[in-house]
Amino acid sequence: MSIALNKSELGNVVVLEGTIDISSAAELKTILLNALGSGKELCISLDAATYLDVTAVQLLWAAGKQAQISGIALRFSGQLSDLISTTLANASLPLFQASVIAG
Amino acid sequence: MSQLSNAEQFKQSFREEARDVLVDLEAALLELNENRANGELVGRVFRGLHTIKGSGSMFGFEDLAAFTHNLETAFDEVRNGRLQIGSELIDLTLSALDQIRAMLEEREGPEDAAARAEILVNVRKLTGVAESVPKTSAGSSVQTTPIGVAVRQWAIRFAPGPDLLLTGADPLLLFAELRQLGGLAVKASLEMVPPLAEVDPERCYVSWEMVLAAPVDSNAIHDVFIFVEDGCDLVIEPAANSEDDARTARDAAAAGLKEPRAGVSGRRTYDKPDNASSLRVPAAKLDQFVDLVGELVTVQARLAELATRNDDPEVGSVSEELERLTSALRENSMNIRMTPIRGTFEKFRRLVHDLARDLGKDVELTMEGADTELDKTVIEQLGDPLMHLIRNSMDHGIEPRELRLARGKRATAKLHLSARHSGATVLVAVSDDGGGINAEAVRRRAIDKGLVAAGAQLTEAETFALLFQPGFSTAAQVTDVSGRGVGMDVVRQRVESLRGTIDVASRPELGTSVTLRLPLTLAIIDGLLLAVDDACFVLPLACTLECIELSSADIKRANEKHMADVRGEIVPYVRLREHFDIRQKKPELEQIMVVETAEGRFGIVVDRVLGNCQTVIKSLGRAYRHVQAVSGATILGNGTVALILDPERLVQDALSVRLPGHNARASPRAARSGQAKAALRRAAESS
Repeated sequence: MSIALNKSELGNVVVLEGTIDISSAAELKTILLNALGSGKELCISLDAATYLDVTAVQLLWAAGKQAQISGIALRFSGQLSDLISTTLANASLPLFQASVIAG
Repeated sequence: MSQLSNAEQFKQSFREEARDVLVDLEAALLELNENRANGELVGRVFRGLHTIKGSGSMFGFEDLAAFTHNLETAFDEVRNGRLQIGSELIDLTLSALDQIRAMLEEREGPEDAAARAEILVNVRKLTGVAESVPKTSAGSSVQTTPIGVAVRQWAIRFAPGPDLLLTGADPLLLFAELRQLGGLAVKASLEMVPPLAEVDPERCYVSWEMVLAAPVDSNAIHDVFIFVEDGCDLVIEPAANSEDDARTARDAAAAGLKEPRAGVSGRRTYDKPDNASSLRVPAAKLDQFVDLVGELVTVQARLAELATRNDDPEVGSVSEELERLTSALRENSMNIRMTPIRGTFEKFRRLVHDLARDLGKDVELTMEGADTELDKTVIEQLGDPLMHLIRNSMDHGIEPRELRLARGKRATAKLHLSARHSGATVLVAVSDDGGGINAEAVRRRAIDKGLVAAGAQLTEAETFALLFQPGFSTAAQVTDVSGRGVGMDVVRQRVESLRGTIDVASRPELGTSVTLRLPLTLAIIDGLLLAVDDACFVLPLACTLECIELSSADIKRANEKHMADVRGEIVPYVRLREHFDIRQKKPELEQIMVVETAEGRFGIVVDRVLGNCQTVIKSLGRAYRHVQAVSGATILGNGTVALILDPERLVQDALSVRLPGHNARASPRAARSGQAKAALRRAAESS
């Protein structure tokens, strides 16, 4: 598991890698708050993520809501792993609100 | 705590739960073997396998879950009447449980994978079901409905408790399992997720409403939630008109959940099983707790002593109140550590089943006193000694079927496990109705090995005690002792480490009984405080019957024999003053404490009875391990040491000294006991 925040003039990218679960939830929250705090566009890369548990999904959902309220563009990038897409589909759990852009 | 250790902690928690489930599964399978038409037992086995599979995958034991899934399928076939229970399925499942145990402990050997594959091939041969894997994806979740079983619709509301995630559970994995049951429509609610800054990252805010269309009852649905339902809001109820609804599972899923269901106010909360409120606590914490309570008891005794000495009514009142509370705390702390021996006994059903099959013997295992409670530490260490005793009994004690019939015995041998409290000790016995031990052969073998002198006069008990000598057993395997003693050294070591003793009783052609006499490792007991001159002794209250006076006239009437007339009954007695070689003059009037022992009623003569006391047993250490009459020591309120008497051993010790022709010097144990006793007496007198 790793969570990285890459900052640039154009925007911030949070890169999630491996299993993101309760053991990394506190770190994910801090990084998301940090990224949104800058007021720049935020991209969350899920390409290398293999699994998201409910804590991760809740945080991404909350980040989407906050971005919407703050008027920050937030998008998700990358292909979801089979495990993530199956698990989320089974639980009917959306990763983001409809207004958030997936790219 | 590191994240890694958190994960390991969750795994450990699963392991502990699964071990219990495996024990229950094994017991259910062995019962099922005896009673193959019992649908309740089939259900119990199925649920056990299902639980291991479901929680295994939740905690990262995917291989274990996949392996167990195949067995679960087999028992599902049995449940649905498509497969008959037979010895082969029982034996295969028992072997599979061994494999699951190895996978659980992550101590698999190189040959285990092949063994598992073979088990699965054989299970599939029996069931006729092709390779079966747990379904995890939505696409593969439509389950074929068994013919003739009505599809029912169930409305489910599931709101995980706030702390669920801290237990390592992942609710998202439950949905795949639910989809295995039938068609599922799910609606997740994230409305309770707060703004990002306020999110507690370890709390679950999401809840779900579902409609499940499946040919199952509510128990099957509850089984899916079995590991997450504590503290959760879980409602499972039939959807409206579900009884008549013949829609297929797929139709139900398509119908979806457009609006929250009406009638939610009538929801029924699932009653949790009794163990839902139980808590697992590391044994070390309990040890510490009991130690502290022990210290408190000692301090309370000092306070009581102080109050009496100073004749201070205020302190006396506080002391009495403290005594009441300490007593209640003591009872509670000991009860927490006490566990019925049933779990240990039940484990041996499997051993007996397997050995009986391997040895070609018919053996009926019976149990008595399985609810007898022992300290957890003692129980944990009893497994090995009992296993060796049972193996010996089955291998060497119980005769082959033909020989039993020739001796006029039932072809089916009896192996009996029993446990009972005896005063401050617990007696755990393994008895068989086999061929018994040839005492003369044991004696000859001991002489050959130089363990005893050629002319030594040994009592039967001393002869049988030789079986537990190191090195005796292996050589004996090839003699007519018939191997009795294999592993016996292990038994002796373990029992001695628990400060216990072993008694063997055997009669040729009738059978053998090995009794382990075990003290509580750290017991706080109620006792009677006795005095002989300045030395104090504690007699466990549990074995005390009454106290009578012994005057010089009484002694003369009995012609100086150690016999007392207790309301017409002659009761032999032992005088502690003589036993511990206390040389000061005895008083005119002595007291006899009458105790109940395995040898019958017996008297223990002392100078004075000082009264009741609560005592914390402290081990005497290795130097005094040969003193048989004393089970430990305790510190009294005034700081002096009192020896805690073991009445059973005291009486046996006294009897062995008095046996006509008994040569105490022939027994190294007796000699050591004498030396240690003298040292103890000096210690008690000087304290």
